[in-house]
Amino acid sequence: MARINNRIRRLRFDHDEMTQEELAQRAGCTRQTIIALEQGKYVPSIELAFRIARAFGVSLEEVFKYEEQKK
Amino acid sequence: MAPLQKRAWWGLAIGFVFAIAFVLVFILMGGIDTFDADQTFRIIIDVLWVGGLVANLIIVNLALRKPGMVDERDRMILDRAPRIQWIAVVFTLAAWVIALNEVYRSTDLIPAVYLYVMFMSVLIVSTLAQCLGILISYWRANRNG
Repeated sequence: MARINNRIRRLRFDHDEMTQEELAQRAGCTRQTIIALEQGKYVPSIELAFRIARAFGVSLEEVFKYEEQKK
Repeated sequence: MAPLQKRAWWGLAIGFVFAIAFVLVFILMGGIDTFDADQTFRIIIDVLWVGGLVANLIIVNLALRKPGMVDERDRMILDRAPRIQWIAVVFTLAAWVIALNEVYRSTDLIPAVYLYVMFMSVLIVSTLAQCLGILISYWRANRNG
């Protein structure tokens, strides 16, 4: 099994407590998608993942982390 | 609540109002026999179901073409909605087939006007089920991801 974790919530607070709405506007998605991402209930497409990373001005790996879980 | 989700709630509410109005007018004005014989009655019913469909089209579908209304997650949810729509349509058709078959079995003759009524009912159910499918898909996505 594999899981993709993200640091979106952490990064928002590190960027002057950027609101979910603001991030959504910068990344070109809805606030509900940001909420789902932060709750780990949605895995974005590569394109959206890049747009979110770009909104924070960091690399993709600094936002998303791929973790392989062994059973 | 996502814009698409809001639209689906509105679409469902307006769809229900039109559907109830449709059924009430149909029953109060005399049912299937009057519908078959009276052209004014048919026009009233036509206006109701076409009006309902156009309202739904404007509320749910056309409004979503505005930029920023839907993103990739919304599109994924939209893609799941037709499953519910398909099930609703199949069950509606099954109900019609069973009911008509049982009622008219002895005569071996089903009045042609039922084709029209079946078509209208399937369109109404399909439209309502589309909105319901979107709402259920959102509920599932928010619950399970």
